[in-house]
Amino acid sequence: MRERAERFAVPLGLVTTVSVLIVVFYYPVGNVFADAVSSDGRPTLAPILDVLTDPFYTGIAHHIFTDPLGVPAGIIQWFLAVELSPSGLDLPPTSIGLFGFTAYQAALSTVASVALGLPGAYLLSRYEFPGRHTIRSLTILPFVLPGIMVAVGFLAMFGRNGLFNDVLAVVGLGPVEALFTLEIVVVAHAFYNAPLVTRLVTTAWESVDRRQVETARSMGATPFRAFRDVVVPQLLPSLLTASLLTFVFTFMTFPIVLALGGLQLATVEVWLYARVQNLELTEAAALGTIETVISLGLTYLYLRYEARQVATGRAGPSLARRQLVDGVRSLRDPRRLAIAAYGVVVLVVFVGPLLSMVVESVTGPGGEFTFEYYRFLLAQQTSSAIGTTRPLPAIVNSLLFGVGTLVLALPMGIVVAVVANRDVTGSRGAEAVLSAPLAVSGIVVGLGLLQTLVFGTVLFDYRITVLGPSAIVFAHAVAAYPFVTRNVAPALGGLDPRLVDAARSLGASRFRSLLDVELPLVASGVVAGAAFAFAISVGEFDSTVLLAEGVDSYTMPVALERYIGNRSLGPSLGAATAMGTVLLGVTAGSFVVIDRVGGRWQP
Amino acid sequence: MATVTDAGVELDGVSVDFGDVSALNDVSITVEHGEFFTLVGPSGCGKTTTLRAIAGFESPTEGTVAIDGEDVTGRPPEDRNVGVVFQNYALFPHMNVRENVAYGLRFRDPPGGVSRRERVDELLELVDMAGLGERDPTELSGGQQQRIALARALAPGPEVLLLDEPLSALDVRLRERLRVTLREIQQSLDITTVYVTHDQEEALAISDRVAVVADGEIEQVGSPEQIYRSPASRFVAEFVGDNNVFEAAVDGSDPPRVSIDDQTVPLAAASKVTPGERVTLSIRPEDISFDERDVAITATVEQVEFLGDAYRVHCEWGEMPILVKTTHDEIPRETTTIWFDAPDVHVVGRSVTE
Repeated sequence: MRERAERFAVPLGLVTTVSVLIVVFYYPVGNVFADAVSSDGRPTLAPILDVLTDPFYTGIAHHIFTDPLGVPAGIIQWFLAVELSPSGLDLPPTSIGLFGFTAYQAALSTVASVALGLPGAYLLSRYEFPGRHTIRSLTILPFVLPGIMVAVGFLAMFGRNGLFNDVLAVVGLGPVEALFTLEIVVVAHAFYNAPLVTRLVTTAWESVDRRQVETARSMGATPFRAFRDVVVPQLLPSLLTASLLTFVFTFMTFPIVLALGGLQLATVEVWLYARVQNLELTEAAALGTIETVISLGLTYLYLRYEARQVATGRAGPSLARRQLVDGVRSLRDPRRLAIAAYGVVVLVVFVGPLLSMVVESVTGPGGEFTFEYYRFLLAQQTSSAIGTTRPLPAIVNSLLFGVGTLVLALPMGIVVAVVANRDVTGSRGAEAVLSAPLAVSGIVVGLGLLQTLVFGTVLFDYRITVLGPSAIVFAHAVAAYPFVTRNVAPALGGLDPRLVDAARSLGASRFRSLLDVELPLVASGVVAGAAFAFAISVGEFDSTVLLAEGVDSYTMPVALERYIGNRSLGPSLGAATAMGTVLLGVTAGSFVVIDRVGGRWQP
Repeated sequence: MATVTDAGVELDGVSVDFGDVSALNDVSITVEHGEFFTLVGPSGCGKTTTLRAIAGFESPTEGTVAIDGEDVTGRPPEDRNVGVVFQNYALFPHMNVRENVAYGLRFRDPPGGVSRRERVDELLELVDMAGLGERDPTELSGGQQQRIALARALAPGPEVLLLDEPLSALDVRLRERLRVTLREIQQSLDITTVYVTHDQEEALAISDRVAVVADGEIEQVGSPEQIYRSPASRFVAEFVGDNNVFEAAVDGSDPPRVSIDDQTVPLAAASKVTPGERVTLSIRPEDISFDERDVAITATVEQVEFLGDAYRVHCEWGEMPILVKTTHDEIPRETTTIWFDAPDVHVVGRSVTE
């Protein structure tokens, strides 16, 4: 009996995984899309056309749908409407509509991320200095930091009374009103994505074979020509990959804009959230559908492009690194001066927000040292000035949901990894299954779950309802399991397939050989995947914020948003910074685990 | 339909396709109980696929696989009771030597009613590795790892031992020593063994019978002597050992003779050839001599290699290169007469010309 069960364990696991995905992802999300293209059971394009022909959404481009004959002129007008003057940054240009603005801010964010990330890649790949390895691994950190926590950091750093203005005041400048501007949103996006650029380009730069450059030099190329002709072509693919990813991420951005920009800088995702809150669900469904089509298209582009990048196994030596500080004279070298200036920018953009948040969390209103905010987090008060969002349940919920996500996402991710390694069909299927959750916004997932499982769904005359907390865990597991697969699959693929053959010829079933041989050997991948899954669950905001409202089981990120959203608290961000610091601690803990076991972090 | 006999392993009409590519085509092999049977061929010829079909790692598109008289075609590897040793040993790196050897005993009871512990000790003793049980595989030399892989495969008492190029990762001396050990262990256990190698010399040295595989098909099955002395095809003649292979037109059938380079060369009386036919002939370098034999031909000596126990002499017979192997110390220079006996010339292929 046990043997039989073992024999079917892997197929059974796959069937279970796919079923779970259908129930908690495809069905709810499909339900949202169905709302966009049907009304009372009849197919209709009205909701989608309503959005596309509304100048609010598509700006001047709405002519494409209302007046197809005027299309070329309309498109040109649409592009001309994008002003690149600094004054144009202040407000969402209504002439390009919500979609245009969303793409516009994503493009700006991509440019900023590349501008901020490229010097980092240059520094990390070409210079040797103490702490280089640490900084290189720290480039993973932003990825696991919850967006809303980063927003708290930015509020603490760039707020009217923030560290940034304090420093400016010392040198007699300022104050600068940075909050609720497009600039701060773009900088916050760069906080997330510049490290991505740095990491991808550094990897590419480090894998340039020194001998290729030496060959070019020996053939008469100047250092610059050798760089342009040999190095740059090898860096471009990684730069393009990073840019495309950054654009996708920032196109679907949510918590950063919600907290730092507000509705006047709303992107599609933020507006979608606002529609749901106003219970304009059909419009929300149409918006979500169009957004998903766009992001699926971009994701498809990314995957196509990435698949074309042939991994060239390189055995040659890397380019030699220069000492960053090499005697007193090197300090006057213009390149090193530029690096020093870059270091200052890094301090302001990356270290500043996190440091400000931690400092703020232990600083009282009068500037004195205090643990008051942390005491508040642990207090069992029933209500407070902050309203009904109590901190302790948020912390407990976050941790419980994190564990629940692990329990669900770990086996799911491992099963998909096993199938992906089996053959070409398996890996293609797994790729598709993995990419779908990446391309669908958390708001759409949350909305779908709310409308189906949480409010109840009728199946074979039985009304099935799922408790809110489990719906949150489902949503988190869907977001998290691809990271388990991404970490486990390559490790499994790297194992000698004959190890499994050997185990099976000795009498082990496929499942037993997975348990006895493969999983122990890829333990570090499993641990890294688990750490990612936990971090993603703890930091997940997009779907949780919707589900939490419906079921009153909020998490730390949701509580954070409520704290910073409540202006009645005055200028002090105390409670938010304290909770943000806790969140930073938890996610940084996951990061340490990931770094130790060498996790793969790319989505 | 397969006639299931009592053979140790029997493949009947087995074909294996990978997508559009046919890896094995209608292969039938019978391996007797206790026999050491070797599949030899160039890489990609299908010999490993054959082994994997026996082990259950590949499922035949057509045909049946029987082990010990029992049809096992559809069975997964874990239900076949075979022991497999791989080229790279495939020892479990997270288990020590004892745990590796004991792994199969988690699923099958040790034969002979002994405890698992005793069985592991027995096997470590057998491969001369007693006392190294607590080591990790990474702490062992290649030869030691191979012994452990063998002990692990044998521990559950399999019906059949399958060896996939087990020695090819080792250096020449060690390989030669280990193959003697392997043969001794195989004979002492009297276990049916299928051995895969690309090394024809190894195949000849170690086997009871050899099957030469090419392009997914069996070219010839026979004892090492048969394979070496009477190659059934041009491929076998060229693949196994040094050989001289050339084309010739049949001059007459009674007595059988061919003409090569305007010279008439008699064939063995038993050779069946018909006039007008073109044939492929082979003759071993050691069957050609500078001493007088039946047939004389004129050749030019081009190069001489000293091998220690013999010389390889590269000659030219007309336009054709011809290799002579001799222990003769005095190698003639330039143009000379070389000799052979007609029965040493084998017909290994034929084609009809118009």
